[in-house]
Amino acid sequence: MKRRNVITLLAALGLGGGAMLRRALAALGQQAPEPTMAAIADTMFPGGDGLPGASALRLHERLMAMSDLQDSIGKGVAWLDKYAAARGADAFVALDEAARLAALDAAFASTDDGMRPFVFAMRQHLGQLYYSNATVKKAFAYTGPPQPDGFAGFQERPR
Amino acid sequence: MSGEANWDAVVVGAGAGGAAAAYGLCRRGLSVLLLDAGPRFDPATDYPLTESDWETRGFPERTGSTGKVTFAPAQGLIGQEPLLASGSRGLGPMVTNGVRLMDKYDHVRGIGGSTLHFTGEAHRLHPAAMKIKSRFGVAADWPLEYAELERYYSEAEQLIGVAGPESQGARWRSQKFPLPPHPLSYAAQTLGKGAKAIGLDWQANSRAALSQPWNGRPPCNYCGACNNGCPRADKGSADITFIQAALAAGRCTIRPDSQVVRIEAGGDDRVTAVLVGRADGSIERIACPNLVLACGAVETPRLLLTSDGLANESGEVGRNFMDTLFVVVGALHPEAQHGRRGLPSDAISWDFNAPDAIPGVVGGCRFYNAAGEAELGGLGAFALRAIPGWGRPHAQSVRRLWGHALHVGAIGERLPNRDSRIDLDPDARDRFGMQLARIASSLGESDIARLRFMAKKSHELLAASGAERIYESYSSWDWFFATHVFGTCRMGNDPGSSVVDAYGCSHRWRNLWIADASVFPSSGGGEAPALTIHALALRTAEQIRER
Repeated sequence: MKRRNVITLLAALGLGGGAMLRRALAALGQQAPEPTMAAIADTMFPGGDGLPGASALRLHERLMAMSDLQDSIGKGVAWLDKYAAARGADAFVALDEAARLAALDAAFASTDDGMRPFVFAMRQHLGQLYYSNATVKKAFAYTGPPQPDGFAGFQERPR
Repeated sequence: MSGEANWDAVVVGAGAGGAAAAYGLCRRGLSVLLLDAGPRFDPATDYPLTESDWETRGFPERTGSTGKVTFAPAQGLIGQEPLLASGSRGLGPMVTNGVRLMDKYDHVRGIGGSTLHFTGEAHRLHPAAMKIKSRFGVAADWPLEYAELERYYSEAEQLIGVAGPESQGARWRSQKFPLPPHPLSYAAQTLGKGAKAIGLDWQANSRAALSQPWNGRPPCNYCGACNNGCPRADKGSADITFIQAALAAGRCTIRPDSQVVRIEAGGDDRVTAVLVGRADGSIERIACPNLVLACGAVETPRLLLTSDGLANESGEVGRNFMDTLFVVVGALHPEAQHGRRGLPSDAISWDFNAPDAIPGVVGGCRFYNAAGEAELGGLGAFALRAIPGWGRPHAQSVRRLWGHALHVGAIGERLPNRDSRIDLDPDARDRFGMQLARIASSLGESDIARLRFMAKKSHELLAASGAERIYESYSSWDWFFATHVFGTCRMGNDPGSSVVDAYGCSHRWRNLWIADASVFPSSGGGEAPALTIHALALRTAEQIRER
């Protein structure tokens, strides 16, 4: 890799910008991970019952902007694509939902370096973002801010 | 640099002890400079409980609001303890490397100290727990009787506006709680049915939160988020109780962001001054006719040790460290509970609180409704901890089970031992060049036996309440996460085995006093310590005036 490209990539990671990262990876001639990250997000947190999936809330972009996750994301996406290729698909994004779930299960069960922490981190970050999203929380009772009203009916059976 | 004293007393640390000491001194006509290393918080603007992302914020972090510590090598975990291993169905085990996770000394530096984020349980110590050495042969006796502390307990309760029940058994009272007890939340009522089924008493907890208006403060509105800071000022944190009262006396000066880095001593067994680090990095010398240390059981011994081992004639400064011995268990109930609604820790069982109440082990414990603290993380924390996996089955389970959690907590006596202590880390210093406190914590076999009992009984209580699907359990067996810390400047009558006398005065240094939980000779059977710290500090303040 040329020194200039390395500098570009490091700058993107340091600034934590998802768009910059994608541009940097594109400049390196590598596939941007956004579609794969969107697929991971929707496989883990698909929504349904009137709720949006995680990618519709653009939560995968929030993860791609976290500089401390970049190395793990790079390795994880490569592992999932390799897993898909071994099963005759072009990439992870080409798998159907059941196969994507199987791929994530396999990554979580894998002893390959960093795979279990990668899946754990995706679940942790995406899940926290998803279930603290205002749109999602509206579908659940008693998730609003505790003040200024408090819980007047706290002695009663939940509504 | 100043050589003349502008105040009758300098109090270092504005938490539970320092605030009460300052108030006690001001009330008796002394002028006080109250210093704290941390900032001053504004309840109206600093606690973001009206924001939509409130659950991800917790108690606010501000510059200087958390002190740094380091940890000595952790204790190895022996054997399998399935009831005590920390973890959840959703996240798996917390500890997998066979050694105790030395995670956090959970505290706040600032005006109000850790009372800013405390739950606000207001407990008197069990009288028998103060005589645990002479009656049961472990730890050390308190050099005073419950009866000597009782009127100071009452004074503190009155100032705070503690709400509590008619009676708390062995904790006899000279007067009623100022306010009636809080009603039990729905989840606490569910647990109460289970408690009754297994013969446990289950009563309203005594709480430093207002059940009715008190001294111009509004009553609690049961938002359940005491640990994130109370924006209404109905929680009795030290900043809006003792410190307000001290300020009203007109003789108290408060100085936040002022870290004491050293104590100077004179040649006549008196301390002379403190050196205070300013925000700009400079050092100010402040003379002190009387010096009261109230930095807590980690920072008070640190300050003494870093001041050339001041008041350590016995070699006991930093020794006898006791941290929080806790168990929290969460389970799913068939019916929705939404246990975060209501006052955290609103219900309690004192049945096993006496030192001889747990079969086969000395030292008591108490059980309580732990929903408030355990569920503060909101929907996100529930989804990730309670439900394993991901995908549509996970999403459906979250939809179906949200609000079904019940939590029982237990806190127990933590006995001191020679392997648990605070010393100075030779390799870590703060911005003023002061060595950091290093925490060593090692549980004894009796502590672990007590934890087993606490976990077993918590499981029984949940099951009897109808919540049989355990999904998370945490304990101090493998997880050091200490909110209550005690014992590193023990009080006692023997100068050879204690640091201060029964009034908190150094055995040698006649104007050096300690007014925090570092003076506790024993931890008590799981009682929250703030009210006892207040009471001891009020007693110390009175003694300073008399001497």
